[in-house]
Amino acid sequence: MARVVILGAGVAGHTAALHLRRWLGREHEVVVVSPNSKWNWIPSNIWVGVGRMTRSQVTFPLAPVYRRKGITFHQALATTLFPEGTADDPTPAVEIRSTAPDTAGETSRLTYDYLVNATGPRLNFAATPGLGPDGNSLSVCTDSHAEHTAGELKAVIAKLRAGEPQRLVIGTGHGTCTCEGAAFEYTFNVEHELRAAGVRDKAEVVYLSNEYELGDFGVGGLTFTERGFTTSSRTWTESLFRERDVKAIVRAHVQKVEPGVIHYEQLDGSEHELPFDFAMLLPPFRGADLTAYDRDGNDITSRMFAPNGFLKVDADYTARPYEEWSAKDWPSTYESAAYPNIFAPGIAFAPPHGISVPRKSPNGTVIAPAPPRTGMPAGITARAVASTIRDRITQGQQAPAHHASMAHMGAACVASAGTGFTQGTAAAMTMYPVVPDREAFPATGRDPRGTSGEIGLAGHWIKAILHYLFIYKAKARPLWFLIPE
Amino acid sequence: MDSTAESIAAAPLPTQRTLRMRRNVPFQLLRFAAINLRMAGVILRGHK
Repeated sequence: MARVVILGAGVAGHTAALHLRRWLGREHEVVVVSPNSKWNWIPSNIWVGVGRMTRSQVTFPLAPVYRRKGITFHQALATTLFPEGTADDPTPAVEIRSTAPDTAGETSRLTYDYLVNATGPRLNFAATPGLGPDGNSLSVCTDSHAEHTAGELKAVIAKLRAGEPQRLVIGTGHGTCTCEGAAFEYTFNVEHELRAAGVRDKAEVVYLSNEYELGDFGVGGLTFTERGFTTSSRTWTESLFRERDVKAIVRAHVQKVEPGVIHYEQLDGSEHELPFDFAMLLPPFRGADLTAYDRDGNDITSRMFAPNGFLKVDADYTARPYEEWSAKDWPSTYESAAYPNIFAPGIAFAPPHGISVPRKSPNGTVIAPAPPRTGMPAGITARAVASTIRDRITQGQQAPAHHASMAHMGAACVASAGTGFTQGTAAAMTMYPVVPDREAFPATGRDPRGTSGEIGLAGHWIKAILHYLFIYKAKARPLWFLIPE
Repeated sequence: MDSTAESIAAAPLPTQRTLRMRRNVPFQLLRFAAINLRMAGVILRGHK
């Protein structure tokens, strides 16, 4: 009998848990530890943030699903790893602290044979003074943040209706943020709502981003063919900004957010102030706050984790200049570099470097998007990890690992630009691979046959269908496993 | 504002016809099928 403990119940953790439960016999135990009682389809939070969806439409309770599937669930936060066990007991273990209302604060230890660290991102609002819902800006990162933000947007629309001009700033709240796509989506959904409310003429919408240029999206931009021409995601994105009259400030690192004023620095070292009436700024991500000890009680956190809190896996972390970055640097098995029975799929693994070109201002401020690992890559890497664990449990430790490198993985992204069955639009993009491979595709690093972009109502329909499809899958309804990650 | 404002001002502006086609239901149904096929190809490649 083996026990697999999965830390986190987001896209990666939940995917790994459901597949492992489906593949492994009941003599093996699958345990999920998550501080949240609900599963959240995060891509739809932008629609909660404009008041087009409710929180209950993007979340559901995890416990009933896990009970039905035979997965043990602990509503708790993982705090400490003991990958070698302790002096008294050599069985690997993880310490957890309950976040369930009836047992909040109680700690316990779970032993494991395999551990999947799928803790995803910690929203690091603290990186920028004044950033976040506890400070002076808004967020759509969680369903509760998004609901609060929708209320603020409603108030702004009321002021616009009363004839009071408003400036709405949406973007990234730090020079090292990722998820520019989500900021882009929220920008155009807000713009769409302002138009629908008949108040667009009095509102100034500003997109504030750490991208070097529009259309970078943290993946270094895309190049694709359209009507016989090679075009870039930059041109394509700028066209949308022009069409919808949205202003943009790029190459920006937000230094602090004061009530009604954003202070930011740009790559050229210049510093600026931007007054606002409404600001939704995404935070940078960190890994979960896990500490680790060896059998003798020595702190081995820095051996297992990168300084940003993400788990070091089978990547090549040798520091190299951008010109020497290679697709081969990226991990493919997500096995911990220190302990082969620990894995980190999705956002939880430490990337070897960025995808976008790294840049610093003359003041030494890093202003470059961190590489995205959300959504499809999170699901695919989690499935690969689950497959490896299944094989090692059923065939023995010698079973080879399954591979899912982001340098050999395509991704389909649908960025909403406004909702509505006949009035919605979205940018539907595909890229192959996610991490450019200059050896395989010398021209742009990506296969032109697998890289595309298109704006229209069809993209919105796809985004809406994906919402229902992935919630169906996450609820483990009949034949859920036929829906690909 | 930086030079992004000038870049946006110089970006190609879709024609009224393009904007209409982006919301034309019959045309978008065809695009829906085409995009899904394209995405399926990328997804299958990613799941190898």
